[in-house]
Amino acid sequence: MTGLLDLYSEKGSFLHRLDPRVKLLAVLLLSVLAFMLSELLPLVLLLAFILLLLALSKSSFGKAFFALKFVVRLMVLITLLWPLFDRSGTPVLFSIGPLDITEPAIWRGVTSAVRIGCFATVWYILMFTTQQRDLVRALVKLGLRFDYGLALSISFRFIPTFGLTIESIKDAQRARALELDKGSFIRRSKNYVSVLVPAVVSALRTADTLALTLQSRAYGAFRDRTYLREIRMRPSDYVALAVAVLALLLPALAKYVYGVPL
Amino acid sequence: MIPLPEHDGNHQVLFLRNVKFTYESGVDALKGVTLEVDSGEYIAVVGGNGSGKTTLAKHMNGLLRPSVGQVVVSGGDSSTMTPAQMARVVGYAFQNPDHQLFCGTVQEEVSFGPGNMGLPADEVKRRADGAIEVMGLSEVRGKPPLSLPLGLRRRVSIASVIAMDPKVFVFDEPTTGLDANEADELMAIIRKLNGEGKAVVLITHEMKLVAEHANRVVVMAEGRIVLDSDTRGAFSDIELLRRSKLLPPPVTQLAHKLSQMGVSRDILTPQELVFELTRGDDD
Amino acid sequence: MQALRLEDVRFRYPGMSGWALDIPSLGIGQGEFVTVLGPNGAGKTTLSFLANGLIPKSIKGESEGSVEVFEHKASEYSVAQLSTLVGMVFQEPESQLFCMSAEEEVAFGPENLAVPRDEIARRVEWALGLVGLKGMNGRSPSTLSGGQKQRLAIAAALSMKPSMLVLDEPAYALDPVGRIELYTILSDLKTNHGMTVVVMERDAEALAKFSDRFVVLVGGRITASGPPAAVLRDPRFLKEAGVSPPQLSEVASMISARRKGPPLGFLTVEEAVAEIMVNAPRHTRMVSR
Repeated sequence: MTGLLDLYSEKGSFLHRLDPRVKLLAVLLLSVLAFMLSELLPLVLLLAFILLLLALSKSSFGKAFFALKFVVRLMVLITLLWPLFDRSGTPVLFSIGPLDITEPAIWRGVTSAVRIGCFATVWYILMFTTQQRDLVRALVKLGLRFDYGLALSISFRFIPTFGLTIESIKDAQRARALELDKGSFIRRSKNYVSVLVPAVVSALRTADTLALTLQSRAYGAFRDRTYLREIRMRPSDYVALAVAVLALLLPALAKYVYGVPL
Repeated sequence: MIPLPEHDGNHQVLFLRNVKFTYESGVDALKGVTLEVDSGEYIAVVGGNGSGKTTLAKHMNGLLRPSVGQVVVSGGDSSTMTPAQMARVVGYAFQNPDHQLFCGTVQEEVSFGPGNMGLPADEVKRRADGAIEVMGLSEVRGKPPLSLPLGLRRRVSIASVIAMDPKVFVFDEPTTGLDANEADELMAIIRKLNGEGKAVVLITHEMKLVAEHANRVVVMAEGRIVLDSDTRGAFSDIELLRRSKLLPPPVTQLAHKLSQMGVSRDILTPQELVFELTRGDDD
Repeated sequence: MQALRLEDVRFRYPGMSGWALDIPSLGIGQGEFVTVLGPNGAGKTTLSFLANGLIPKSIKGESEGSVEVFEHKASEYSVAQLSTLVGMVFQEPESQLFCMSAEEEVAFGPENLAVPRDEIARRVEWALGLVGLKGMNGRSPSTLSGGQKQRLAIAAALSMKPSMLVLDEPAYALDPVGRIELYTILSDLKTNHGMTVVVMERDAEALAKFSDRFVVLVGGRITASGPPAAVLRDPRFLKEAGVSPPQLSEVASMISARRKGPPLGFLTVEEAVAEIMVNAPRHTRMVSR
């Protein structure tokens, strides 16, 4: 749970230094691009470009693969299952019982898998190169209300703490001879009540203190608060933004205006 | 197979042999700890934060398994036992009672452990009633434990361990958050359990408690036992305690300062110090 | 000037029969280090919440009397406004730190107060330095030790430039070493920066040598107030109040009870050595023996 949310690692690549707003927009644009492209070759080119970005972010491929192993499994699954459900087109390569496996269907499966790969990797790069607080700052800068941004960052902050609390509660119940994962489904669900109740109670107690703390730190004193760390666009950020916009705009023009099959 | 150590089955209830433990993060929390606990002993395991004392305690009831070494419980190797089976022998009272209380009434809460052990209903009731009695909770037995003040919540959590009737009790910082009276009452109950022949392992950094209650002190530092001695012996080595990030109680510090005047260095309580200082006053 | 002044203050939580706090009069002088000693349920938390306006602004109940903070009527200001006069530190280290880094934690208060950026940056460095966390700007609060967490919470209050700190059992979850570090920092704040410090505590031992004054609170009422030597010298009184007396004051009072002559009044090891050397010629003879 914690690992999925906190992928950030301090590597100091140029992607790390980019304005989080630019990164967020670029990731959105590239995601749209991945879904706009319907041919395999341009998608493979896009994937290659994204993998290049991954390399530039100084993430090891091993770590990325580990973080994305769920996505990789999904890609394999799509490739294998697509032809079973999509039976259009010719030629039919072979048949399994009543199922005809066609060549175009296989390619469409591969295409979809690559698209998912593009999409997941680009978001992974964002999480790998951007601290959660900067993401929240970017969202607030882009117009999210500060309260919501604060709530979001508090959630990020307390998820690992909450995870530790749950581990400690499980230990405490195991020490009372509870076998959490033994017995029927109903029995197991009942066992988990003994974990859930203390977890909720402890979360509520934390929330209580937190509310008092926020007030004691002058939360909400002025409508326009200041910020210690201001995020500001630098020339390199504008360049990166331009590249991302063009990366979507040019293929879109080619495809929809000039009818290039992409 | 590693031969089990020789021991007198009547006395030894817990034996950790050369236990090493490394967390997933790569931290070596225990670097070879050997500890024997006999029935009726009152052992304080002390050490600063990160000394490994909590990791050690979690090996005593199977919540953690040694990476290397062996934990012997009631004469048997524990490597094949589940924490639930070990809980019958070693009871563990966690520091934060709010991490275990969840039932609608104190009675149910205290019955939870023995119920999990698969005991017949009348035996569960008998044990729960006994534990409620011992912890002085009769008046609140029908109340929701979570609505009680901290002192009583801690008592409920300890009652729920007592009801499982283990041979060894591990108490993790049992007085945290309690005031003087609550702490005194609780420590008196723990002493009573010990008087009934239960082994008590007290994990703490409160050296005052250790001086007043323990018979034996195990000092941990950096994953190792650096001292295992009777309580007097432990308090006479004030430098070792300081190096282990522990703060000797003021009377012990004073006794050491006054040792050149003939005051003995192994003073544990104010009464003992006063006795030493006023001895011969009536001459 | 009085840092905190309570006149005829009473507070009752909803649904409770008795007053949680009933204080006819209490004054805390500017620059004073006061320890409020009392068992659980004595009203320590209630008192600390009254001092920074959380009661009655945020926590509702039946409230009477007047609370003045540096000659400002607390009732006329918001909790946010009072936070520039009174810094608050809570018991539980984990739940009062909610940011991703130490720096953000300390900056949060002044940011809310719309302090200019350069000034916030200065205050962050200043406050982290005062609590011994210099250079830890980027550290995630959850990776700090218990003692460091409480010190960070102090820094987060200091950055709003209050003149008084109120701490509700700040050493609750700390080991003895962390406890002493914390109280030493508070003592330095008082000595070097004229900070008024009010600490709620259950245990007199750790604070005996730092406090100018002890106030004993039992069942919502003040039962004693005075310098440490006066309040702590009677262990029986403290035990009846439900707080543990300093070990050495027990020693002093037991010796005094057995001997004729002026009573002993030491609280610290140093004082004890000095007094015992003077009062026990017999033992000194043992040295020369």
